[in-house]
Amino acid sequence: MVQERRILYEHLDTPNINTYDVFRQHDGYTRFEKAIAEYQPEEIADMVKEAGLKGRGGAGFSTGEKWSFVPRDIEPRYLCCNADESEPGTFSNRYVLEKNPHLLIEGILICCYAMGIETTYVYIRGEFTLGKKMLDAAIKEAYEQGYLGENVRDTGLNINIYTHPGAGAYICGEETGLIESLEGKRGQPRNKPPFPAVQGVFMKPTVVQNVETLCNLPFIVGNGVEWYTQMGPTYGDARFDPPKADPNTGTKLYCISGDVNEPGVYELDLGLTCTELIEVAGGLRGEEVKAVIPGGSSAPILTHYELDTRLDFTSLTLAKSMLGSGGIIVMNETRNIVDCLLNIMKFYAHESCGQCTPCRWGTPWVRDIVQRIADGDGRQTTITRPKFGVTESGRWGDTGETEEIYEDLDLLENVANNIANVDTMTWNTICVFGIAVSWPAVSYMRKFRPEFEAAIREGKLVTLPVAEATVPPEENYAYQQRIIPKEFADL
Amino acid sequence: MAFIKLNDLEIEVEDGTNIVEAAREHDIEVPHYCYHSGLSRPANCRMCLVEPYGPIPGAPPGTIGPARQLATGCTLTVRSAPPERKLEEKYDAIVRTDSERVIKAREDILEFLLVHHPLDCPVCDQAGECDLQDFSYRHGHDKSRYLEVKNVPPKKDLGPDVLLYSTRCIVCTRCIRFCDEVSGSGELGLINRGSHDEIDIPRSHEGIPIQLLDNKLAGNVVDICPVGALISKDFLFKSRPWFMEKANSVCSGCSVGCNVTVEYKTDGVYRIKPRFHEDINQHWMCDDGRLGYHYVNSDDRLQLPQKRVDGELVTTQWADALTLIAENLSEVDAADIVVIGSAQGTNEDNYVLQQFAHDVLKTTQLGLFGQLPGEEHKFPQFTIEADKNPNTAGARTILGSANGNVVLEGDALWEKVAGAKVVYLVSGVPERALEDAEREALEKVDFLIAQDVLPSAVTELADVVLPGTTFAEKDGTFTNSTGWVQRIRKTIDPPGEAQVDWEITQQLAKQLGGEIDYHFAGEIAIAIAENVAGYGDATHQNIGDAGIKLD
Ligand SMILES: Cc1cc2nc3c(=O)[nH]c(=O)nc-3n(C[C@H](O)[C@H](O)[C@H](O)COP(=O)(O)O)c2cc1C
Ligand code: SF4
Ligand code: SF4
Ligand code: SF4
Ligand code: FES
Repeated sequence: MVQERRILYEHLDTPNINTYDVFRQHDGYTRFEKAIAEYQPEEIADMVKEAGLKGRGGAGFSTGEKWSFVPRDIEPRYLCCNADESEPGTFSNRYVLEKNPHLLIEGILICCYAMGIETTYVYIRGEFTLGKKMLDAAIKEAYEQGYLGENVRDTGLNINIYTHPGAGAYICGEETGLIESLEGKRGQPRNKPPFPAVQGVFMKPTVVQNVETLCNLPFIVGNGVEWYTQMGPTYGDARFDPPKADPNTGTKLYCISGDVNEPGVYELDLGLTCTELIEVAGGLRGEEVKAVIPGGSSAPILTHYELDTRLDFTSLTLAKSMLGSGGIIVMNETRNIVDCLLNIMKFYAHESCGQCTPCRWGTPWVRDIVQRIADGDGRQTTITRPKFGVTESGRWGDTGETEEIYEDLDLLENVANNIANVDTMTWNTICVFGIAVSWPAVSYMRKFRPEFEAAIREGKLVTLPVAEATVPPEENYAYQQRIIPKEFADL
Repeated sequence: MAFIKLNDLEIEVEDGTNIVEAAREHDIEVPHYCYHSGLSRPANCRMCLVEPYGPIPGAPPGTIGPARQLATGCTLTVRSAPPERKLEEKYDAIVRTDSERVIKAREDILEFLLVHHPLDCPVCDQAGECDLQDFSYRHGHDKSRYLEVKNVPPKKDLGPDVLLYSTRCIVCTRCIRFCDEVSGSGELGLINRGSHDEIDIPRSHEGIPIQLLDNKLAGNVVDICPVGALISKDFLFKSRPWFMEKANSVCSGCSVGCNVTVEYKTDGVYRIKPRFHEDINQHWMCDDGRLGYHYVNSDDRLQLPQKRVDGELVTTQWADALTLIAENLSEVDAADIVVIGSAQGTNEDNYVLQQFAHDVLKTTQLGLFGQLPGEEHKFPQFTIEADKNPNTAGARTILGSANGNVVLEGDALWEKVAGAKVVYLVSGVPERALEDAEREALEKVDFLIAQDVLPSAVTELADVVLPGTTFAEKDGTFTNSTGWVQRIRKTIDPPGEAQVDWEITQQLAKQLGGEIDYHFAGEIAIAIAENVAGYGDATHQNIGDAGIKLD
């Protein structure tokens, strides 16, 4: 049985860990002090790179590498902490904010020291009122204790943190949408390049980092790179061996929800399989696993054939899905995949920022097609076409085969792929919201096509038994082409 | 300069040029909506996608291939690259606008643009000059796959002259950016989100406008709207664009001298739109100029000469009016005559007028009349000048160009007028009220000859009224406040028996035995070029559509 390895969450349940005194008793701020005492800023940046830390916010981009793009000769530089956690199925940052906000502040301090940053903005999801309250209180304490403000702890560093609540838009979690919103504009992602690392907040170099990513920093500094790199997948299966240059180290705060007995956030080493994870979360509620969403609602779905997929950045990329935010949603045999897709598409159609043409008008279109299928109004035609083959009389001739054409499924796939093409990993949109729409749309439809066909044929939602509903892996597009689209990070 | 390969062409372009412009220079169309060369580039419509080439990651050095993602041609700029970064050892960029991927991307984007579009072209003002129609025709699908219900956002009245048909809006945000960047007034914004995006002005919760789109440059948003979403109330349902003739001209509203296109039919002027001039008006013009043409089409236009009989003005024949004027002019001394030209008139009108005064009447007492000054309006990227005449600079120089001519203006002029016996005043200034001093002076004149286009405060006092022409009815040149000499062109015929101003003056001269004999405005311009200092190059041929700047 796999055990949780609590590092970021170690003190989550420690009473009053949200206060400075208790936090301090549990090594609070010592890692920051160690960083300042023992390392040069550049050394910290190197350590983060060596540790192989990857962004936990969604894109999984190497944090150290991102830092190396920041021009150090342009002042001021900013740190933007992304606490907009709005991906459906994701709720791990929230607990850090509400329960252990000083850990985030320590992470921020280390990042600021490493990158020579004086100003940090924490962009907090608007609904996280408690989280913001707790963080604000912790920031106040940190100022009082001299960890923030002018001349932090007599080190000569000036570090300030400002919190900023979002106004309820999912797209403000996208780093450039976040920056626009922070600047007081409409939350619409920017065209890239320039990337935030070069021109971010107020067009100055900006490091945008997820809460969880920043919370890893104290432990990398405190316990060392070697300790950190020991955590992560141990690969036995050569098919899944990741390239050395693509490490998956550390723990991940997996948010497990759906049909499991004990949903919640579990801190586990990267690289466990879906099956192991379901076990950790108290086992499946229901008879059979029908599907697993591995990384927030925008990640392509996994079928019951794919439960041995390891939940780390590389393995999921190889499986043509993604770890994303680590929001894992388990579905049992009672779930109807068409209905699930409809739910997700309603969310995306509502959340598209509307800036660029394909996403603005394509996303609601996809939703409407799924809605039509779910309502039983999906279109289907039976056509008979001449086909050369062995006829009943045993001779070569026209076998007159009939074929079912599900126009709406073709349309659904085509429209989704026109927003962002999941096969070529190309998109004509400004931001990767487009792929977050077409990934679920196309993957649900392809992997659970029988259920979509049934809804159209029967004129109503039909939940098929798992084995019947799922397209076998041989036919499943995820296995056809194993390319690593390295750039599919939204950078 | 950057050396690039665009499709199969090898071309040189200025550093910093984007692909849309580079292609346009070589007659390759890169369809685009949100990009406008006078505004910032949000690259939100995604219509201008092109395929850039570059080194292929992982392939042997020097291998060039199409990039994984298409790029927006509006933001893809080219620059000369250092030798080691040149592609195929010589190009600074390789871009295709005609690859299969690009063609498909265009089809896809156009399909998305049309899913909620009403396609009410038959009743849409933009039809015929609509980028959505044109690009759909050239790059789009011929069928729609969209079966769902279309959004029907409301039609909105945005301001004095602008209506928004929200259903047709493709959310390119050009109009918003115009108000933010050029007029700086920021009235427009987006409300709602996603497929419910709508352009709107600020409103209270009850929907009552807090701020109207009423800045003096507002009309430009109608021009730059690539579809029929923003519509000018002034032009609404008046004509199909293809039924109108177009002439390149210059606005007569103020001394900026915005380049314009006058669109007209035989029965009048229908609309005026700005025409690009890099140094003068860029892409823009103000609403005063844009909507100030209505007097041209007025039913009240002077159509026949008039003379005063028993205190009343009555219409008469040209021959009669000219004889009457000639009699009155020959009876008085040259010292008692004042000849006043108009800052609304062309250089040609004023040249013939001063020639008439100097050579025929032998008077050197000239004056300059024009519209009363208005207010100056400054915007971040545009200025409307206070001088409401298009040709003050030109008229002033040209009236004074002959030896000894004195061109009086303001109080000095009216003092002189008050003491004169005969005054020949060429006005043509629409809606010009007279100030008290001006009226008193003109009332003292024994015989006032007024040449004008509409009944006015001046014609009310006149003894003879001669029907002249507006900017829309004649050829000629204006000189703007910064010394640009530019051409206006005849569009419609003058109403009734009204005549071009210099022709009237020339006939008067002939009546008095003078020898002025021009046949068309271009001929006068040649005379100006020969005789007026600074105008040496200002022949119509040289001026062309771009204008020339005096030294
Ligand atoms: C549509 C969209 C929504 C996103 N939402 C979030 C979010 O809620 N929280 C987050 O941390 N990152 C989110 N991201 C990822 C960010 O763009 C960015 O990659 C991340 O904040 C970088 O931090 P990291 O490298 O520490 O992960 C989102 C990305 C996209 C495209
Ligand atoms: S892809 Fe969607 S969310 Fe992203 S910029 Fe375009 S419209 Fe906005
Ligand atoms: S905007 Fe263009 S395409 Fe749309 S209705 Fe008007 S003319 Fe037709
Ligand atoms: S109203 Fe016209 S200019 Fe404005 S966003 Fe819509 S289409 Fe563009
Ligand atoms: S013109 Fe380039 S994206 Fe709109």
